[in-house]
Amino acid sequence: MKNPWAQTGNYRTRYEEDASLFATHRELVSLLLFLAFLLVLPQFLSRTQVFILDLILVYSLAVLGLNVTTGYAGLINIGQAAFMGVGAYTAALLAPQGLPFWLVLPLGGLVAAFFGFLVGIPSLRVKHLYLAMATLAFQMVFEWTVGHMPLLRQGGAMDLPRVSFLGYEVGFRNHYHFWYYVSLAVLVLLALFWRNLLRTRYGRALVAVRDNDRAADAMGMDPGRTKLFAFALGAFYAGVAGVLYAYLSRAVVIEDYTFAVSIKLLAMAIVGGLGTLVGSFLGPAFLELLDVNMEALSNLIKALGFSVAGVDVASALRPFAFGLVIVLFLVFEPRGLYNWWRLVRSYFRTWPFRY
Amino acid sequence: MSFFLQLLFSGVVLGLVYALAALGFVLIYKASRVVNFAQGQFIAIGAFLAYWAMASLGAPFLLAAALALALTALLGFGVERVFLKRMVGQPIISVIMATIGLASLLDGLIHLTPFGAGNFSYPAFLPPGGVSVLGVQVSYAQLLAVAFTLGFLVLFTWFFQRSTLGIAMRSVADDQMAALSLGVSVEKVFALAWAAAGLTAAAAGIVVGTISGLNLDGLVHIGLKVFPVVILGGLDSIPGAVVAGIIIGVLENLAAGYLDPFVPGGGTRDVFPFLVLLLVLWFKPHGLFGTEEIERV
Repeated sequence: MKNPWAQTGNYRTRYEEDASLFATHRELVSLLLFLAFLLVLPQFLSRTQVFILDLILVYSLAVLGLNVTTGYAGLINIGQAAFMGVGAYTAALLAPQGLPFWLVLPLGGLVAAFFGFLVGIPSLRVKHLYLAMATLAFQMVFEWTVGHMPLLRQGGAMDLPRVSFLGYEVGFRNHYHFWYYVSLAVLVLLALFWRNLLRTRYGRALVAVRDNDRAADAMGMDPGRTKLFAFALGAFYAGVAGVLYAYLSRAVVIEDYTFAVSIKLLAMAIVGGLGTLVGSFLGPAFLELLDVNMEALSNLIKALGFSVAGVDVASALRPFAFGLVIVLFLVFEPRGLYNWWRLVRSYFRTWPFRY
Repeated sequence: MSFFLQLLFSGVVLGLVYALAALGFVLIYKASRVVNFAQGQFIAIGAFLAYWAMASLGAPFLLAAALALALTALLGFGVERVFLKRMVGQPIISVIMATIGLASLLDGLIHLTPFGAGNFSYPAFLPPGGVSVLGVQVSYAQLLAVAFTLGFLVLFTWFFQRSTLGIAMRSVADDQMAALSLGVSVEKVFALAWAAAGLTAAAAGIVVGTISGLNLDGLVHIGLKVFPVVILGGLDSIPGAVVAGIIIGVLENLAAGYLDPFVPGGGTRDVFPFLVLLLVLWFKPHGLFGTEEIERV
């Protein structure tokens, strides 16, 4: 008998069923429950904890973009933070002009997408490593250019005004809560878009080009154009994330968009599981919480008086733990946290059967 | 004119450093197609090991340098055995990420020592001043750097042209399957390539240290400048790494000398190599000496 709540096999008989986003009712309901949980969660947390949640959401958005470029299309991007920065600086220039934030958000994304398009141009001729080098060069040129432009305060802090929403000004007290809900709404919207992308011809073309671009070419897809599209779309996500980050921290500083951040985003994508939706949230959450805990740990070590003169425990422990986690994941669980999630889910999905 | 010559000469010295660092990078890439993002950390570790040997153990320069070279080569060897060996056959993004993770790991380890922050310089072992050639002031440190680097390059050339191991490494780079079937141990060659990369990185670090002092961020940054060099020279070309290293070093210095007055804040040397990288990717993606990949269905 077919049970719409559990899936013990593939009973799909019509095309519409095969194209459905959720395999079982249980999946849909648990997702809605989880969303409801996320909606009420900040009410039980302190401001600093909500701030960490905000960061996780914003980074998830950027990682989602990275999962288009690197996950779907297989183009290694070590400059995602620079695209975030493009979005953030767009916000820093536009917001003081009195533009509302819901207009700045897509605009920042579009400007970043334009830069993504430019960086992707070499993909018409070269692939793999050479492309990674193009994104690296963009990251370096971006950092240097911002650092030398008087318009952008040479990388110093550019303040953003407080925003008002429905006539109320968002003040100090509810700043983090407000941006939590905005980020969550944007994230849900763009995640749905991301999930649906793979069901369109454009998304399928991305995967086809990743797996074998010559075969894709022979079947009538244009690998160069597809890669440009991937770069632009991935940068769009990063740009939107950058705008959110700018509003969230109420200032744009170059330190938030450096090469190190690009690497952090790439590591989040890998640790979460490259090219997966769930991984785009698990990776940032895992690494961000790790970073917070390492900072707490190094403060504890300092307080206990184990420190050596001339050694900063925090600046040693944080990169060390970060690098160790990446290497361990690559060696022992290359499919990332997503694989653990998949195992747990398939257990419940087929319960009470084993598989 | 003498200003130009001065820039040219110090550019060549800087370029030789880049050439050394890039050499190790290309060796690894040629042997195993692995992109090493930890080259900058190797450079820093080599330079600081030499400093430690000189300052704490009181070793003379040559002995300290030899010790640093040996230890860094050992580190490269160990890293390949422990981490990279497991990554053989994984997708390219995983391998890149593994070396990035490694770089972060080594960064953390360096920060555990007092060398994480601040500036250091080797105890003075050279007489101050220098010689003047064609109106160009050349310090003894620079002379030593040039001699050291050239000696190193000659040694490497000999190693790859004459020694059995070097020829085995070249054969693996050329055709892994053929080398394997002729009895060359590919595994050994991979590990050896990493050891050689550690060696050249340490050499680059020591040369930078004698010329301009030691600073963690500065040394690690050289590891990033390696990328423009190897792209310009061609990712898999050893002579390319040397030639492109010198070209990038000279261009960077000329840019700093002639463009900085026109740029508010200066510092053109930090961005110029990456502009060159972008231009090369747009117009001649496989570099000066790189093999063009020709794909057939």
